[in-house]
Amino acid sequence: MASNLANNYKDKTLGATLDKQTLNKMVWRSLFLQMSFNFERMQAGGWLYGILPGLEKIHTNKDDLALSMQHNLEFFNTHPFLVTFVMGIVLSLEQSKADVNTIRAVRVAAMGPLGGIGDAIFWLTLVPITAGIAANLSMSGNYFGPILFLLIFNGVQFAIRWFLMHWSYKLGSSAIGVLTQNAKEFTHAASLLGIFVVGALISNMGGTTIAFVIPNGDAPIVLQSVLDGIFPKLIPLAITLTMYYLIAKKNFSVVMCIMSLLVFGLIGALPFIGLF
Amino acid sequence: MEFSIIQVLLVGLVGFIAGIDQFSFLESLYRPIVLGPIVGAILGDAQMGLQIGASYELIMVGSMPIGGAQPPNAVLGGIMAVVFAISLDSADFEAALALAVPFGLLGQQAVNIWFTVAAPVMSKMDTLAAKADVKGIERLNWVMCFGIGVLFAVIAMIGTYAGAAMGVALSTSVPAWVWTGLGAGGGMMKFVGFAVLMKVMISGEFWTILLAGFASATIIDAAFQKGNYTLVIIAILGGAIAFYDYQLNTKIKAVGGNGNKGDSSDGI
Repeated sequence: MASNLANNYKDKTLGATLDKQTLNKMVWRSLFLQMSFNFERMQAGGWLYGILPGLEKIHTNKDDLALSMQHNLEFFNTHPFLVTFVMGIVLSLEQSKADVNTIRAVRVAAMGPLGGIGDAIFWLTLVPITAGIAANLSMSGNYFGPILFLLIFNGVQFAIRWFLMHWSYKLGSSAIGVLTQNAKEFTHAASLLGIFVVGALISNMGGTTIAFVIPNGDAPIVLQSVLDGIFPKLIPLAITLTMYYLIAKKNFSVVMCIMSLLVFGLIGALPFIGLF
Repeated sequence: MEFSIIQVLLVGLVGFIAGIDQFSFLESLYRPIVLGPIVGAILGDAQMGLQIGASYELIMVGSMPIGGAQPPNAVLGGIMAVVFAISLDSADFEAALALAVPFGLLGQQAVNIWFTVAAPVMSKMDTLAAKADVKGIERLNWVMCFGIGVLFAVIAMIGTYAGAAMGVALSTSVPAWVWTGLGAGGGMMKFVGFAVLMKVMISGEFWTILLAGFASATIIDAAFQKGNYTLVIIAILGGAIAFYDYQLNTKIKAVGGNGNKGDSSDGI
């Protein structure tokens, strides 16, 4: 697991600049961000798949490539249509051989907020409008309905993916000069933002609630509403801290942790326990 | 109406492609508005498929995969609504939809199970990454990608071949508490991902920042009910603090001080 990774790349010389062809290849690969989606690290596998062509060009040293691949397999989740923005920035940092902590911090800081923006653009605006128009055409028996839907949706999708990839890679590359001058200070600030976002994710994505009811005659006590009154999201925070304790202090492996949570979920859901 | 083996296999192919497309590739081929006429054409009535698909689409617009939550499954619900409308030989959308609902739920459960059992695969990827095995990572990603496609193809074919009763039988064959338990377990797995990030990112001085982020998000979520813009506001708040931190430390460095007070203690 990703616990004892080195912080610095061995080969500190600037990596190869990524040509248009490689960037475009990664735009295509970005379509498969969620190909190995799972509940533990979400899009991590597809994220690594997407940036691999760039990483292979940048890290000619095999140990460096392994290090880069390992830290890019950590928890990742962003909006699938906006991911190329994160890809461009992260690749420009990889190219400048920034230290792993910096790249990780920037990655985490960038991925979180994009989720909300992407939902607003795609799921709450683009799809309802295009699907509404297209569905009306279909209802009247016109085969142009689905075609119109696909054309508009994918036109917007590809324009955004392509633009964000090229723009953010350029942006990242041009900012590197200033940042390497104050590398230590930048890493500190980026880590701060990254940690702040991780804290926010625990609350924002942590939907775990309990259904436990304490029988109390006519007024049964619903434990979750009691908790919500004192400390909302206490349960997600408590589980995260427990997992942190097990991994950081008790040398639990990631697989052991997810298996225990699964068993915990199943036992808790037993009808006579009724925790979930 | 009985469907031929070839028709069943073709519906399976649609299920395979749509099962993948609901998360990867174009993420628009799987919409009922697109699948409707295709499944209809396979089963011999494209017009009916077109209209049923559009009706189902309008229902689905209300349940988008926002914030990672899983809505009732559009792929299996959409495919089966068309299958049942054609096998009943009636454009009665309500009746076809009622028969398709168990498959929508089955699809949702299939997704949850798949995302849960796929989690241990990440450890295998860690091993491959440590060896810089690019081909291995790519191959394993594709295996997982096709896996969910096969799962959806199989359910779509069973539904088309065996009919509506099978949907009910399948979705009630496992006791409800097992689904609840698997769902709760799956829902908690992301905390392991967060914990690993914390382990590699956090050091003494950052614990308060983690709690500040947690508290801010909880407040913003509560204030706006639907937490759609929470992380954008979080980025603005966190960005402001981080920018201030950067300015301060570069200035301290410029006047000859030692920013971040020491090297070993801050862990970065």
